[in-house]
Amino acid sequence: MKDNSTSPHRALLGRPRRLFSTLAATGLAVSTVVVGTSIMSAVPAQASSSPITLWVDSARLASVKAWEKANPSVKLDVSTFDAGANGSGSIEEKVALANRVGHGWPDIVFSAEQNDVQKLGYPPFSFPAVLNGGLVPSSIIKNYAAGALAPCYIGTKLECLRNDMAFDVLWVNVPLMKQFGYTIPTTWQQWQAIGESVATNHPGYIIGTLGDSYSDAVYLQAAQCHLNDVVASYSLIDNPNDPNCVNIANLLDPLMKDGSVPATANEFGSTFAKQYGGKVLMDVGPAWYSTAIFEGTGSVLNSPKGTYEAVDPLTWAGSKHTWTGDVGGGLWILSSHLQGAQAQAAAKVLVGLATSTVSQDQSEGYPGYVPAAKSWIAEQDASGLFATPLAPAFAVAAPEVWPGWSQTPWDVFGLWAQNVTPNLVAGDTVLSQLSVMAGVIKDNAQSEGFQVKS
Amino acid sequence: MTATISLPVPERAKRRPGRGRAGGSHHAGYLFVSLYVVLLLLFGVAPTAYALYLSFTEAGKPWHWAGLSNFLSTGRDFRFVPAFEHIAIYLAIWLTVLVVLVLFLALMLHGGARRVVPAFRFLFYLPGALAGSASVIVWVFMFDPELSPWHFALALFHFSSFPQVIAPGHLPAIFAVIAFWTGAGGWIVVMNGALNNISDEVIDSARIDGANAWQLAFRVKLPLIKKWVVYMLILAFAAGTQLIVEPTIVASASLGMVSPFWSPNQLAYYLATYNDNFNYAAAIAVDLLFVGLMAAALLVFRSKLFELE
Repeated sequence: MKDNSTSPHRALLGRPRRLFSTLAATGLAVSTVVVGTSIMSAVPAQASSSPITLWVDSARLASVKAWEKANPSVKLDVSTFDAGANGSGSIEEKVALANRVGHGWPDIVFSAEQNDVQKLGYPPFSFPAVLNGGLVPSSIIKNYAAGALAPCYIGTKLECLRNDMAFDVLWVNVPLMKQFGYTIPTTWQQWQAIGESVATNHPGYIIGTLGDSYSDAVYLQAAQCHLNDVVASYSLIDNPNDPNCVNIANLLDPLMKDGSVPATANEFGSTFAKQYGGKVLMDVGPAWYSTAIFEGTGSVLNSPKGTYEAVDPLTWAGSKHTWTGDVGGGLWILSSHLQGAQAQAAAKVLVGLATSTVSQDQSEGYPGYVPAAKSWIAEQDASGLFATPLAPAFAVAAPEVWPGWSQTPWDVFGLWAQNVTPNLVAGDTVLSQLSVMAGVIKDNAQSEGFQVKS
Repeated sequence: MTATISLPVPERAKRRPGRGRAGGSHHAGYLFVSLYVVLLLLFGVAPTAYALYLSFTEAGKPWHWAGLSNFLSTGRDFRFVPAFEHIAIYLAIWLTVLVVLVLFLALMLHGGARRVVPAFRFLFYLPGALAGSASVIVWVFMFDPELSPWHFALALFHFSSFPQVIAPGHLPAIFAVIAFWTGAGGWIVVMNGALNNISDEVIDSARIDGANAWQLAFRVKLPLIKKWVVYMLILAFAAGTQLIVEPTIVASASLGMVSPFWSPNQLAYYLATYNDNFNYAAAIAVDLLFVGLMAAALLVFRSKLFELE
């Protein structure tokens, strides 16, 4: 169930290297073209009888193999790659090269980057096929969880199918909460009060983290902070003075200072288990943290069976509706370079991989397609890894992802990690970083041709 | 320069310079360089020409003259100036450290006891023998207080976590340290070779004239290897402006805490791949070529590198 779509294992890239020659100063861009051209030209142009080419990451291979076994008549040509994870941009890179030579596109590609369609769907890439124009039946689209397909829409055009959901819930260490005598919080304010008590009475224990790139979605999105809200085509609201942003910043700052939500704590850092193993009292994070961080072999903390449980997302005291953040979740994309029967055949494979129980039972995250999700969660809860079943909290949280934190051509997680996290580590407040984050979002948005309003 | 005593030159050689047997080796010379020339044309000159073509044409429109618009657009990009600032600070630190320490260590080596020279030469060379990206990964571990065997040294700077070590202000110095240890060994060996070329007569004469070790190093040896230092500076400058491996790997190791366009080369790569604009990328590559050529020209003319003695 560990979701590599947002996996901690950032591949150490050795791609480009320094070129030791004065003349080769120009080499980089050019050698990319030259090398890329020769690779891509080795890929044969698509013919109507050829198998369907499929690019997925290794975490998706189990799903693909299970589906292939159930559908032996369909010929697939499967290649594995990093699926663009952690902002590597590998899909853009390969599509850009294929665009230059006019062939070599994959028929179906899995993206681990939730914002990829917002990049690939615009010129000069214009890669994904529009699915809600006949390629995918509307009965399939209707069966997706509310908001699950939001990253797939460009205007009214559906350009991908969601693999897994990544809504945030509150993860709780049940024995530790009992031992310390705290009740499970339902509001952010209660959560904060526990944090302040933990800092005084149990220093070293944490109730959340501010050191990973997801903190923006985990806290700001849940608080309905309008920093990255696409309101119309090429139009963005980016307002660091939004009271919602200021409120969550003011809530977090004392906790960061007292050490109950440290800026140096990153679940994916090499030393998280060593530093915080047995000391994570609570954590706000996505559904796929379940076996990626907390329980089971291969998880970061690998806690004793039945230590953690998922509870409903935190709400704002006095607010009518609970909203939560969204951290990752993979996308299935169909190439727009297919025609006629070939496009129809590939679309069937796409739907099968994204929605069939046989494929999604192998998924490492909570499926976005509701019927598949039901089957998947039943299987997870039968494993007994968690203190209580995951299903109730997941059912509550799935439709609560706040739609005002948009998927955009720029990678918001990356911008947070590069521009804000280092300052938080150096001692700046979250409040002071709202304008920093708003500034870099504005720069990126404008360079992509967006109008930015506050 | 080292020929202090003029020897009588045989008459025949004097009459026919560059002829006869000498003419034969002339042709062999072409043969020897031909393979290099072919590779240079294929992987040096042709890509450079292609980059120049791309940088002056419009994206997606072959042979559509764009004037300087690619250069102006990339120059106005909000990431352009910071990237060049980063690289300027990095070069200032790295080149200074490189010249001072390489010369210091090479002169020490040359002035030291002859018996231990091969051992030390090997020792200096060793860190550079690790392949580029692998040695950067080794340094990532060295800089992580949780993993480093030298965590007590990092503790002196009050570093207790990796994110503190790689704070944005520290990055140029960190990359300079990595680049020095991965690249300096090779240069120490080169400088040692250059120093070994100085004839014993020159050094002995200087000693007889009363030069101490210090004067010998700075007044006699250093001027004799000046051209090698210039040569090192030209190559180091070009390599330094093209920095890409260090920031890319440190970004991966820190889970994205270093910008993917920290250096100009990274920005070019990003624009080519993530924005599908090879023309912008080529414009930045040509900027780097221009900067590298200017620096090389300055050093060549100031030092009279190519003048024959």
